[in-house]
Amino acid sequence: MSRIGVFICHCGENISRTVDVERVARDVGRLPGVAFSTDYKYMCSDPGQTLLKKTIQEQKLSHVVVAACSPRMHEKTFRKAVEAAGLNPFLCEMANIREHCSWVHENIEEATIKATEIVGMMVERVKKNRVLPTITVPVTKRSLVIGGGIAGIQAALDIADAGHEVVLVEREPSIGGHMAQLSETFPTLDCSQCIMTPKMVDVANHPKIKLYTYSEIELVEGYIGNFQVTIKKKARSVNEDTCTGCGVCMTKCPQKKIPNKFDQNIGMRTAIYIPFPQAVPNTPVIDRENCTKFKTGKCGVCQKVCGPGAVDFEQEDSLIVEPVGAIVVATGFDLYTIDEKPKGSPIKGYGEFGHGKIADVIDGMTFERLASASGPTGGKILRPSDGKEPKQIVFIQCIGSRAREKGISYCSKVCCMYTAKHTMLYHHKVHGGQAYVFFMDARTPGKSYDEFWRRAIEEEDAVYIRGMVSRLYQKGDKIVVMGSDIAVGVQVEIEADMVVLATAIQPQKGADLLAQKLGISYDKYNFYSEAHAKLRPVECATAGIYLAGACQGPKDIPETVSQASAAAAKVMTLFSKDQLEREPIVARVREAGCVGCFACKKVCAYGAVEEKEIRDRQGNLIKVVAYVNPGVCAGCGTCQATCPSKCVELDGYTDEQVIAMIEAL
Amino acid sequence: MTSTLIETSIYAAISESIQAEAKRILSDGQVSTIVGYAAARRKGSAQPIVITDASDAQKLIFTPACVNNLAVYLTKAKKDIPKKGKIGIVVKGCDMKALTGLMGESQLKREELYLIGVPCAGVLASTFAPSQELTDESLAPKCTECDAHLPTGCDFVPTETPLTPELEKKYAVEIARLEALTPAERWAYWKEQFAKCIKCYACRQVCPFCFCEQCLCDRNKPQMVETTPRPAGNTAWHIVRAMHLAGRCAGCAECERVCPMDIPLNLLNRKMAKELKELYDHEAGFEVTEKGPLTMFNEKDDQSFIK
Repeated sequence: MSRIGVFICHCGENISRTVDVERVARDVGRLPGVAFSTDYKYMCSDPGQTLLKKTIQEQKLSHVVVAACSPRMHEKTFRKAVEAAGLNPFLCEMANIREHCSWVHENIEEATIKATEIVGMMVERVKKNRVLPTITVPVTKRSLVIGGGIAGIQAALDIADAGHEVVLVEREPSIGGHMAQLSETFPTLDCSQCIMTPKMVDVANHPKIKLYTYSEIELVEGYIGNFQVTIKKKARSVNEDTCTGCGVCMTKCPQKKIPNKFDQNIGMRTAIYIPFPQAVPNTPVIDRENCTKFKTGKCGVCQKVCGPGAVDFEQEDSLIVEPVGAIVVATGFDLYTIDEKPKGSPIKGYGEFGHGKIADVIDGMTFERLASASGPTGGKILRPSDGKEPKQIVFIQCIGSRAREKGISYCSKVCCMYTAKHTMLYHHKVHGGQAYVFFMDARTPGKSYDEFWRRAIEEEDAVYIRGMVSRLYQKGDKIVVMGSDIAVGVQVEIEADMVVLATAIQPQKGADLLAQKLGISYDKYNFYSEAHAKLRPVECATAGIYLAGACQGPKDIPETVSQASAAAAKVMTLFSKDQLEREPIVARVREAGCVGCFACKKVCAYGAVEEKEIRDRQGNLIKVVAYVNPGVCAGCGTCQATCPSKCVELDGYTDEQVIAMIEAL
Repeated sequence: MTSTLIETSIYAAISESIQAEAKRILSDGQVSTIVGYAAARRKGSAQPIVITDASDAQKLIFTPACVNNLAVYLTKAKKDIPKKGKIGIVVKGCDMKALTGLMGESQLKREELYLIGVPCAGVLASTFAPSQELTDESLAPKCTECDAHLPTGCDFVPTETPLTPELEKKYAVEIARLEALTPAERWAYWKEQFAKCIKCYACRQVCPFCFCEQCLCDRNKPQMVETTPRPAGNTAWHIVRAMHLAGRCAGCAECERVCPMDIPLNLLNRKMAKELKELYDHEAGFEVTEKGPLTMFNEKDDQSFIK
């Protein structure tokens, strides 16, 4: 026979104002199996918990029901207290008589009856509770970081500095990401390369970091603490171990006019190339699509001039499996290419701005390359069309961002600041030039950010016009910008030499495909979703996977670095223990009844269901049944609901418990 | 009104082909066992037979009385069939759909089966004597809607081609009639039908998709469905059955054939199939699919019911 203890909480007056708690305690005290019932002002307080623990021992209670707030609030608190008193924590249940009763009702009589019924249900339920032992899973203390931009680099360095091995995977031939493309950074105008490249070198030299560049994630299996990640290392055509990075191959390559993606296609590179001089690793890669040897079979100059004989045309893609315990996703962003309107995409382009048609209408990142000392113009602001210095330049903000009718309703967050920066760089480099900015709002929250924006206007002569541009067109060698100044209420027409569009930040192309491989969720724009917007901002809902940087949403560099360090801290917390403890609310298969249809496996969003062979003593296969890996199971209960013969039960939420509750009503 | 005769003269040639093929594959050891049809006691009637010896191959027949879906013998009854080597099975197009479904649900493996397909113009309705000739009236209602007269994906199919006249689709007509009713009238109709149920579970036993070792309706701790044949429990059972078969049942109509109380069970199954066709463009039984429409989520799925 159960000896159940029921504790009714007043929650100050939150519950007792509408529920006659003494009457509830008295009425449930008469239920079969209830050995003790009482009410108390604050059950969660220290004296409340002491009362609970003392009563468990004095009354030799077998089960506990605490009728108070939502279990999401204090279930852990009371289960801990119950455990301290020597009972299994899963023999304690909470009856929610606050959110589900006192807060939503006014009539004391009715609320009291309802509270009594809620507690009565939980009394019947707790009778069916089983002792559940905590689940432990071993932790592989190695981490995978996906993406070698500033977010990935920071997270990798932090984790590696804590003494744990890191596998860093980057899709491009070099790490560095978008930050390596930038000229100077707001709000201090320090050179991006100068602060970035030392970190890149640190990554390359760190004994705990294993770097895979020109590589992609092929497959992710396993679960928190125990992932198996298959990495596809694309054929570089250059042996990384023997290449010395001398660069002779690049100087001799006859294909010299290939647009360089790193320079936003305004600079040129060779077919065997490193994307930029500070690339890490300093090992070239052959772009097989543009290489004469791969296209026609003739050439092979790079191989002939290579001293150490590192050029290998026969190299093939290879697959490598890395065991890791945690994953940091830092895949960053991509810029909205406004002239493209992919079929079926909800995002509409901005054909009216002539991007892609008028050579001197460029995006912000292209301006960064023009302004960069290592860029194709050596840091001079020159027009792509004729190489002349633009004397009048127009910047247009919010291209794509905050335009619901065009498909993107969010703010890209960094454009206000980088446009202000662009006007300053322009002012420093083009003397006598004039910068105009069309903007909807200036959003400058952040340390020293508003001061920076004010400086662009007050000290660096940028003219800010509040209003949007309706049309752009080429007139001779000028671009006529037609817009409105809504502050004054007039139409504006500027004959500009160059136009820079602050295009929206979007997730990387294929971000959704990677998310599907990882089993993490993403929003309608393909930005990755965090587990809780406020309280778990760097964790994914999938255990063991963390987010850093702009793959989660638009972010500037300081925010990205902070989040990367936060994600690293989460990884270190996970790695601080050898065994990972998990709540034992997991599904269990009744193998005797399982017929092996694997409907449960089909619906499991976490890949927790496996196939298990049942054999007799002679080793003959009797049948194949489902098996739920408790390390992976998230306890969602979908398999339980799907099983046609009800042979999957979720511990802590069994059909028996739920039906007992219903029958108590 | 005179009834249209359904041409079944090819069935004799088909029977001969089946016998020859069965003899061949049993003799050369390709299969250990064959499940097929043989003549039964009453004139013109047929019954399932399991043979393991090549000399029994001549017992195999195909006639309009070969109504059973033999797929069921490979599931629950498979424990009676010695599981050594491949098993041969005689299948009509409708039975083939059940096998396809069972393969998708990990119950059967294609490589463990030898499929002898039957070109079929139709079989007799259970309400007619087995010796009755096949006409549009005596034809089983499911055969009026048949879209698989020639089974696909078999190892062997006799070369004969059945002549299949266009007939009025009996279930479609009945579904249209019920859909035209008000919800209250429809509910009254089904309540009356379910009230007849005596909970004999013949529909469950004959269904190839009811392959659970223990049906949840037989569970008593906790009891999911009331076991006595009272209206509430009856309705619960038939709703469970319809929901469990949605997206899986391909309409062999065996449930309806064996129901001693003449409950139009396949009508319910066809209505569910129609819903799934409209909602998810899914038709059961044509290909082995890893996930059915009700065990997967697609962003394009209709979500208008979420208010």
